[in-house]
Amino acid sequence: MTELLQFVITGVTVGMVYSLIALGFVLIWKSSGVANLALGQLVLISSWFTYGMLVQVGLPLWLGFPAVILFALALGWIVEKFALRPLIAQPILSLITVTLGVAFFIEGATSFIWPKSVAALPRFFPQATVHIGTAVVSQEYLWAAVISFILFVLLSLYFKYHRMGIVMRAAADDQLAVQACGIPVTKIFSMAWMLACILAAIGGILMSSIGGITFGLTETGLKAFSVVILGGLDSFLGAIVAGPIIGLAESLGGGYLTPLTWPGVREIIPYITIIIVMFLKPYGLFGEARIERI
Amino acid sequence: MNVDLPAGTRNYTYAQDMAIFRTRTHWGLFLGLLAAMLTMPLYLGNYWLSVANLIGITIIAATGLNILTGYCGQLSIGHAGFIAVGAYTSAILTNRFELPFLVGLICAGIAAGAIGIIFGLPSMRVKGFYLAISTIAAQFIIIWVINHWNSMTGGFTGIRVPPASIGGVSFVSQASQFYLIVATTAMSVFFARNLARTKAGRAFIAIRDNDLAAEVMGINLFRYKLTAFFIGCFLAGIAGSLLAHRIGYINAENFTLMGSILYIAMIIIGGAGTTIGPIFGVIFIQMLQQGITLISPTLESIFALPAGFTAGIGPMVLGLIIVLFLILEPRGLAHRWTLFKTSCRLWPFSY
Repeated sequence: MTELLQFVITGVTVGMVYSLIALGFVLIWKSSGVANLALGQLVLISSWFTYGMLVQVGLPLWLGFPAVILFALALGWIVEKFALRPLIAQPILSLITVTLGVAFFIEGATSFIWPKSVAALPRFFPQATVHIGTAVVSQEYLWAAVISFILFVLLSLYFKYHRMGIVMRAAADDQLAVQACGIPVTKIFSMAWMLACILAAIGGILMSSIGGITFGLTETGLKAFSVVILGGLDSFLGAIVAGPIIGLAESLGGGYLTPLTWPGVREIIPYITIIIVMFLKPYGLFGEARIERI
Repeated sequence: MNVDLPAGTRNYTYAQDMAIFRTRTHWGLFLGLLAAMLTMPLYLGNYWLSVANLIGITIIAATGLNILTGYCGQLSIGHAGFIAVGAYTSAILTNRFELPFLVGLICAGIAAGAIGIIFGLPSMRVKGFYLAISTIAAQFIIIWVINHWNSMTGGFTGIRVPPASIGGVSFVSQASQFYLIVATTAMSVFFARNLARTKAGRAFIAIRDNDLAAEVMGINLFRYKLTAFFIGCFLAGIAGSLLAHRIGYINAENFTLMGSILYIAMIIIGGAGTTIGPIFGVIFIQMLQQGITLISPTLESIFALPAGFTAGIGPMVLGLIIVLFLILEPRGLAHRWTLFKTSCRLWPFSY
């Protein structure tokens, strides 16, 4: 029982971070129709940048985190401006491939600037473990969940009340109508990319505070794809709900299936989920099923 | 302007219209190329010969991906996974069951094709990004199975593969492998060229351009999409088998997601949906990689660059080139080649 509780808590909390990263994907997909396959690399480079700021430069936390946010903003703006903007209205094949090129570039840049393969962030959460029922959980998990939750709330408030948030929702609904109202759509695209990069950066910091900075962080991006597929590509709610499900499946499957199958079954649970969802319900739990039979 | 034939040449018969080598000059250039290829081992050192072998194998794989992605429009980001299926099938059959190389080669193709069909099944209901993600999932599942099925694949440590041999001839030296690979590559490219002109090839193109319209016109999407997956992955399997027998020892490290992305990059840079495109793309990318490997240690020592330079510069340059090609020349090198040929045919009166 203790074991089960432990798996559930870690699974759900890590899953909430997946949700956070996946939200960035949904944001870009909804506003500009671009499938951002560079998600994992955005997570990776922001985590390394955090390491660079906090450890290598030695900035205090209150200065380091704003620097990371600024970096994420700049990264999102640059990627959108120079890689995606020239390809507006190109076929989806080009749009997917260009993000793969960006992924390649960022991964190269990361191993260029930070040749080490593993590093640890300074511990900025209290180190004492917390007892929940019979389970013992380190505080990183709980903080990750709390921060993700706060960000969900902030984002939904932003989309509900802020002018830019409303404009972005409008653009997701009908790009042409938004343009006709005199709102520059390109500005919305770069806004979406900047927000997505911030979410990826925060997700990266949370993930690497749990597991350290490794190249495995790129897989966090790939797991976020399974979240968006399960939740539905164009649904914010779907991403928030599907993240904990994937996290839970991962930690429960890793905990209970390993003796039955080969070790390391945990790694492919998100991918098997993708394949199953593709067969059963390709547009996900909350995705809008387009009535286009192919 | 596109000029397919030299001035004054007209097609009067169907056979002439369909001919791949239309004029004497074509035949002459083709035979010249053939002669140059077959004598290559005479004047290339072992190093460059092994590069040529790698290029040949990669051309086979890229041709397969080109049929699937370039002609049929089904984006697959798991090509390295399908190549791995072929490589391991061939390795297991020749190593564990001691079957002859040719059996391994054919079975590698068929096994990869079959796995390709399984992971291609989602293409019935989804397309675009959804399909791309499910092929990424395919890549990870395949590699995971390879890494954990110890009794068959040797797990993380890998598996030893005997050198290829047909009849009594064993292909051990780079030069002998070169002939084997050139022959297979030529067959694959010839097959791909002709496939594009058959009913199936035209159906692929119709599906790529508009699947709804294609279905309305009576093209069986289910059949042709899976056919495309089978052919594309069959060629990947053949390439995998040749790769396994060439390096003699394989493990899953040889087949990464980055590799899959590079195959996409190759057909994009070369020009997706053309026969010559993958060849240009493969040669361009492989030569670029060779160049980077040769130059970067020197640059690092001269300019006292940080230690990550050698590891990082390759992906950086490749990523940049993918982005630049997509923005500046989305039709790839093949399009430039057509422009070049046209300007040669029109020269000196290019108006």
